[in-house]
Amino acid sequence: MRFVPFLALMQSVVEFDNVGLRYGTGAETLTDLSFTLYPGSFYFMTGASGAGKTSLLKLLYLAHRPSRGAIRIFGHDAITLPRNRLPGFRRRIGVVFQDFRLVPHLSTFDNIALPLRIAGIAERELRGPVAEMLAWIGLSERADARPAMLSGGEQQRVAIARAVIGRPEILVADEPTGNVDPEMALRLLQLFSALNKLGTTVVVATHDIHLLRDVEGAQMMRLDNGRLSDPTGSLRYPPKPLVLRN
Amino acid sequence: MLLDFALPAHDRKLIPEGRLSGPMPWVIAIILFLTLLVAASGLTLAHAAQQGGQDLARQFTVQIIVTDPFERAAKRAEVTQYLRQVDGIRSVEPLSDASVRKLIEPVLGADILDADIPVPALIDVRFVHAQAQANLRTLRASLRRIAPDVRLDPHSAWMAPFYRLMHMLLVLAGTVFLLLMAATSAVVILAVRSTLNTHRGTLEIMHLMGGTDLQAARLFQRRVALDALWGGFVGFCAAAFVMATLSDQLAAAEPSLLAGVAFPVYGWIILALIPLAVTALAMLMARFTVISALKKML
Ligand SMILES: Nc1ncnc2c1ncn2[C@@H]1O[C@H](COP(=O)(O)OP(=O)(O)O)[C@@H](O)[C@H]1O
Ligand SMILES: [Mg+2]
Repeated sequence: MRFVPFLALMQSVVEFDNVGLRYGTGAETLTDLSFTLYPGSFYFMTGASGAGKTSLLKLLYLAHRPSRGAIRIFGHDAITLPRNRLPGFRRRIGVVFQDFRLVPHLSTFDNIALPLRIAGIAERELRGPVAEMLAWIGLSERADARPAMLSGGEQQRVAIARAVIGRPEILVADEPTGNVDPEMALRLLQLFSALNKLGTTVVVATHDIHLLRDVEGAQMMRLDNGRLSDPTGSLRYPPKPLVLRN
Repeated sequence: MLLDFALPAHDRKLIPEGRLSGPMPWVIAIILFLTLLVAASGLTLAHAAQQGGQDLARQFTVQIIVTDPFERAAKRAEVTQYLRQVDGIRSVEPLSDASVRKLIEPVLGADILDADIPVPALIDVRFVHAQAQANLRTLRASLRRIAPDVRLDPHSAWMAPFYRLMHMLLVLAGTVFLLLMAATSAVVILAVRSTLNTHRGTLEIMHLMGGTDLQAARLFQRRVALDALWGGFVGFCAAAFVMATLSDQLAAAEPSLLAGVAFPVYGWIILALIPLAVTALAMLMARFTVISALKKML
């Protein structure tokens, strides 16, 4: 049997190389971003409001193309990927939007089932997993409720359930703890952490630096005016785990 | 592509389709109702004109202008006899002087006629088929050898002003029909846009979750097609009801007056095709609009 070195197995999930993003003709919103994300890791992306966190996440979940530089996702060049192959890649990425973006006319059940239906999974095969997910977020009783009938915290849990139901390889969450109390924030992070332990690469953008204490083994990326600012440079190749504990 | 209409049940849930989306189906129903009525009148006119035209093209009047009543009667008999043995003529009916007077009296007035004005001899001629100009010329030449002052007038010549009017009405109906179809298309485009705006959020979410352009297009196509079909159905039923009522009234009216007025069977097929065409247009527009909106996203 051939011996496979451990690092060769640790293929990157995402690679950014000298990436820049410019909206319209203004100054660059993101500048010279170079980093690698590894499978099964947990990343916090911090930075002041307006630093470019959401913009970076949009590049990550393939909502935008960068103005320059190279991005590789799942080992493929995301820049030259033909448009008709993007849906297949997007199905491997779960996104929790800052404003949840639940579909207003769909029930809790149908909102959570959305990614599975888009992926063409048969109705009888998705009923079980969705019910399980509903139980996991404690909303089994609200399966038929529309988003408008749910509290903010409940909506957030639905948004997260929808992001993770398809067992994505990458989970991207934009300020998921933005509008909830500290207790709920902690619960959500535990949820992400549980998923992360199942192998999903998690990227959480937040301006709340205290969250970092709550996830063991999480690494931090810091954005400052669209640049990755880490005085030690530890987030360049390869990222050095930055472990914070209380 | 129109087969995309049949979606798996669970896909249909993504865009609600239980209720109608706003006033658009009603607007489509009203405008299609008007369109169908105009189309029906146009078809009826065209049908009547075609039927009447075929009859008239076979009917002619031979006119012999001779002052002396005895000579006139002789020429009339001679020409009648000649015409009776010409091939392709179905019937030859000479009119007596008295009946000619009766025909002319309302036009010239009894006074003038009493003043012993000579009336022409008239012979009603019906051909089996409509006649080519060359045939008519030969016939005229033969008749002139018998009576130099003979005229052969097609009935269609008298009817010319009436046909010009019919033709104008037909052009008018066609123009109004085209304008209404343009308005229908505009309504359909607006309906598609409003559906797209209502569901833009859903569309974006589906897109970011890896939905394909085709998946979204199908959903919208279906949603818009249902609205258009519903509007088309209501408009068609309303128009059919109006036409059925009108045709009952026509049947009850003086039969000879409106004998040629009937709605042809092929007319119903054309009328039924119009809402279907509008639905197909709506589906194509929905597909085009959604795909071009999505193409603007990565
Ligand atoms: N679609 C856009 N068009 C133009 N400018 C944008 C757009 N999105 C974000 N920006 C600008 O880019 C900068 C970074 O924004 P964002 O990525 O939302 O930061 P953060 O999420 O860290 O608050 C801000 O100055 C913002 O105004
Ligand atoms: Mg943001």
